[in-house]
Amino acid sequence: MTAMAEVTERKAQKNRKRRAAASTAPPSTSPPATGPPERLPYLLDLYPVESSTQTRLTPFFEALQRGRFTTTRCRKDGKLLWPPRVVCPICHTAELEWVDLPSTGRIYAFSAILAGAPVGQEGDLPRVVGLVEMDGSPLRLFGRLLGIDWRECRIGLPVRVEPITLPDGRTFYAFRVIR
Amino acid sequence: MSENRQVAVVGGGLTKFGVRAATWAELAQEAGEALFRSVPALEASAVDSLFVGAAEPERFAFQSHVAPLVAEQMGLAPHRIVQRNELACASGQSAIRSAYAAIRAGLSDVAVAVGVEKMNIPSLAEANSAMACVLDRPWDAAHGLTAPPFFAMVAQRHMLEHGTTEEQLAAVSEKNHRFANANPVAQFYEKKFDREKLLRLPLIAPPLRLGDCSSMTDGAGAVLLVTQDRVRDYTDTPAWIRGSGQYADFHNLANMESLTDWTGLTRASREAFRSAGIGPKDLDFAELHDCFTISELIEYEAIGFCAKGEGGKYAADGRTDIGGEIVVNPRGGLLGCGHPLGATGIAQAVEVSQQFAHQVEASRQVPDPEWAMVHNLSGSANVHSVMIYQRGG
Repeated sequence: MTAMAEVTERKAQKNRKRRAAASTAPPSTSPPATGPPERLPYLLDLYPVESSTQTRLTPFFEALQRGRFTTTRCRKDGKLLWPPRVVCPICHTAELEWVDLPSTGRIYAFSAILAGAPVGQEGDLPRVVGLVEMDGSPLRLFGRLLGIDWRECRIGLPVRVEPITLPDGRTFYAFRVIR
Repeated sequence: MSENRQVAVVGGGLTKFGVRAATWAELAQEAGEALFRSVPALEASAVDSLFVGAAEPERFAFQSHVAPLVAEQMGLAPHRIVQRNELACASGQSAIRSAYAAIRAGLSDVAVAVGVEKMNIPSLAEANSAMACVLDRPWDAAHGLTAPPFFAMVAQRHMLEHGTTEEQLAAVSEKNHRFANANPVAQFYEKKFDREKLLRLPLIAPPLRLGDCSSMTDGAGAVLLVTQDRVRDYTDTPAWIRGSGQYADFHNLANMESLTDWTGLTRASREAFRSAGIGPKDLDFAELHDCFTISELIEYEAIGFCAKGEGGKYAADGRTDIGGEIVVNPRGGLLGCGHPLGATGIAQAVEVSQQFAHQVEASRQVPDPEWAMVHNLSGSANVHSVMIYQRGG
């Protein structure tokens, strides 16, 4: 094993421990059920890579695990950027900072997937999805809408960002309708 | 100077579209058969360049580097430019645009643009995964975004903002299926759909029903493009490319300014009209990208056939039918012909060529057409590609 591989392996062990800790379910995290039953082959896995060996956006997922919903903002021109980025598309510099996003919003448009789901989502229909206008923010984000039947869903309903744990330990998010 | 070199589509052919018992490579062979049958004067050795429109052969056929594969299947040996064009649902038009640009620039004289897609594979879920990754895969598709829920949200907002109805959407589907009913290559050839039947079909992504959605389709096609000096070698009725425009702005849905106001299409079609020197009222017919019924309605508005918000009424009143102001999708559209991603743009160009030559079935022939538009959107309507053709001869 090379030195680099040892470092990678130590990091992986650390991640596994962290995930094990995370799976003791903090109250803000809903039970797993959103993702595929087990990790799909890499090129069929729709969810983002989170490991710092593969992406520079690991802080987004680490913040999400702590219940914070964040993105990047350009320090130079103040532009809020979604999805999180590593270079600003306006000034083309890497002077970005992590900032908190609102955790609530309202449904702007929605539908439900009744047929035609990709691998890993076939057994999880109907799936209600929609665009959410984030409170006090120019952002309109797409996501899964939890806690509502599509027949009862309405434009304007309030939702809250909810971190979800995927079966392989990764963290992602959805929107839950506030009752 | 090369700036004035004019380019024409001088013929082309298609495979049967549908659920085909044929592989990706076999479809490419059939496209070659159709091309050489439709242009009898064409010799393979005359083709100097090859452009292959193919959206996802890696996903649907586990095959990359498809340009040389197509050259082999079709018996071509291009010696100037050979490449694959990928622009999702607009890959076929992308191949034509590259051939057009190469000929116009003097880098090619005789070019073939091919489109191939094999979408009906044994695993429907894997095919759906392929379609999902056209969108922003980790940030949108991971939540469940595919084309049907996206266009469903577009339809929902258009209904809310402009009063568009399910019946108006069904009017688009009925028209395009009726034309496809008379088009032998169409997936829904000889299949009848009246509005009542369409409104009873199952919901796929509410408010969109099965009849509002184009299908997963296997199909291929090829067109021949040549420089002005070579046109008479192949045809008496060339389809001259007179204008083009294209626009791309966002990818993640968060960066789409409006679901219902497709300003990218307005920009692309304005550029196409400007370069052709005509306006919307000059067109005799248009091949628009009706991947979903709602798309066609918004396209009327964005291109300028009707005012903003009036697309539904415009369709329901028959203004885009034979005998109306401008015939839209006399081929049968994506709704009626099916939508083999890379082959769709090629099929639209074949339709323009055959309409100009009065070679289509009588019930869908546009009376004496001179000007035609072809449009494709791709992805979440984040790219719009427009070309304008004029009949020659």
